[in-house]
Amino acid sequence: MARTRSTKGPTAKEKADAKAEKAKTAATSSSSTYTLAPETENPPLFFILPKAATPEARIVTLQNPRYAKPSRYLVCPEAGFFEFNKISPPKNVPRSWLLESNVRIEGDANEGDARLESQIFDSPDLFIATPIDPLFLVLTALAATKSSGDTKASQKRMFLASDDHLDTLSELSGGHLSEVLTWPASRALLEARIAAVSDSVEAGDEQMYRLSETKLLDEIVAKARRMSDKGLPRSLEEKFVTKELEAPILGIRSQPAPAKAPVKEDSDSPQPEAVDSQSTVSSVATPSSSLSEASTAATSVSGDTAGNETVENAMTAPEEVLRLQRLRTAFNFICASYVAPGLANTLKRMLPTTETVDFKPLDEYMAKLAKLRQEAAAVRTGDYSRKRGCEEEADERAEKRRKQEAEDKIKKANQSRGVKSLAKVSTAGMKKMSDFFKKK
Amino acid sequence: MSPPILTLGGPSPSSPSTPPKATPHLLPCRVHHNGSIEPIQPFWQPEKQPDGTSTSYFRGRKLHGTPLPLPSGYRGVVAAAILPPSKDAAEVQEGVIDLEDPNCGKPAQGRLDVQAEFDEVVMWGHEVAVTTDGGPAGDGGYVRGMEEWVALAGEIHSYPNPDGSGK
Repeated sequence: MARTRSTKGPTAKEKADAKAEKAKTAATSSSSTYTLAPETENPPLFFILPKAATPEARIVTLQNPRYAKPSRYLVCPEAGFFEFNKISPPKNVPRSWLLESNVRIEGDANEGDARLESQIFDSPDLFIATPIDPLFLVLTALAATKSSGDTKASQKRMFLASDDHLDTLSELSGGHLSEVLTWPASRALLEARIAAVSDSVEAGDEQMYRLSETKLLDEIVAKARRMSDKGLPRSLEEKFVTKELEAPILGIRSQPAPAKAPVKEDSDSPQPEAVDSQSTVSSVATPSSSLSEASTAATSVSGDTAGNETVENAMTAPEEVLRLQRLRTAFNFICASYVAPGLANTLKRMLPTTETVDFKPLDEYMAKLAKLRQEAAAVRTGDYSRKRGCEEEADERAEKRRKQEAEDKIKKANQSRGVKSLAKVSTAGMKKMSDFFKKK
Repeated sequence: MSPPILTLGGPSPSSPSTPPKATPHLLPCRVHHNGSIEPIQPFWQPEKQPDGTSTSYFRGRKLHGTPLPLPSGYRGVVAAAILPPSKDAAEVQEGVIDLEDPNCGKPAQGRLDVQAEFDEVVMWGHEVAVTTDGGPAGDGGYVRGMEEWVALAGEIHSYPNPDGSGK
């Protein structure tokens, strides 16, 4: 700031003097009004934490059940397990935090230390700790015993005491699990979750557990049901429910065509393939005797199409199918977020066999929809072929234009400099060369 | 080095027993600075509007702020990780996790130093208010994260308590 001001000085000597002076005053004045404090070494992060977490809660590193990578979790002996979700805007959206102290400074300047300074933070990240079912955390260990065996390990998997399972788990996940396991409440919770998805046998005075995939499936389906009953979040609902179940638009229009056939049979006029209602009207109208009938036929046809369309729409969204699709979406979401890929595949294969939910209406609907889509696609490919014809024509035209352009270029290259420079000038008022050779 | 176990808050000479209240503002711009910006009054004077939103001028540009309350049962915390002295601090605070852990013994104990608490976040939009359903600039993540996901996570991850009482 000092330098820019000083350059205004008129002479070199004055300039130098002013520079020195102003630099001094600027330095003092800026420190007296606003100086930017140095950056903090360790910028704090923004967290949203559950109130239920007690002071005994710890932030620990555990293995992420889905990606098998260490991640941070908040574990509270009383409130349970929480995972951290990082919210950050996309890279192209500039965002930063400004932390404004609610305590105004003028009031209590004397309090000094207790007052919080307003601060600014570059990183716009926000961490939310949301509950996670410890079931998913123990799943790694329960399923791991499988991978040591061969693929048909369902039988090979051993019954083990929960302690052994937890030992495997802390071995596998490294991190701080061994520490967490020393807290009795958390350990009990993990054991309970193991028991919930396992077959158990009693060996002596100890319960032995083995992962039961059917129990796990039931557990996850129950979760999915809870998740879908409250309604899915809009983004999920739109992408995986509404869109998945949407019949193709052409499918709706093609549906009335076969339904029209019986109507035409009444009018006794042999018809070629009538696609839209307009053609039926004109062809029915040709027998002059039954003009009125034609009109009724036309109205009945249109009425029929309308009726049919509503039927088609109703087929698009029966409540039962919607509900099942939501459930399946929720199930897939849980599997994709919290279950290791191998186990998730197994579960997805098993999903149709579960007794708790009958996916038959959904499957039937999906099959029908697939057929409709195929038909629509077939119709559309017809369109494409027609379009391609147009494109070829366009190609030809473009080719011609290109040739023309090339020729023009050659012509231009051969032009003299005078002609070229004249081309840019308005020649409206100028005499043409031919003027000189006219008879006068 | 694996990041240490962090305790929440906890007694420390530097932080008072009850952290001061503050309001985090999510600015629609990026400021490449971390740290104190006192005095703030001359530059940041949000005015409350009757409909609950607020407006403010930041470097001559009009910003509209929409308050976003935290989900019930949650509290907002501004906290920095204070690491045990012997450890390399820079790595951990970023959330970077390193697996090569030579000391498998007692994990290091760090502390999350709570500097402030907050009850709501104000999302600021440039000239237009941030809408709760996405908005023009990808702000939906904050809203979705705080409202939708918290509710959803509750549904997905509820489980019966070991002592039998349902959660």
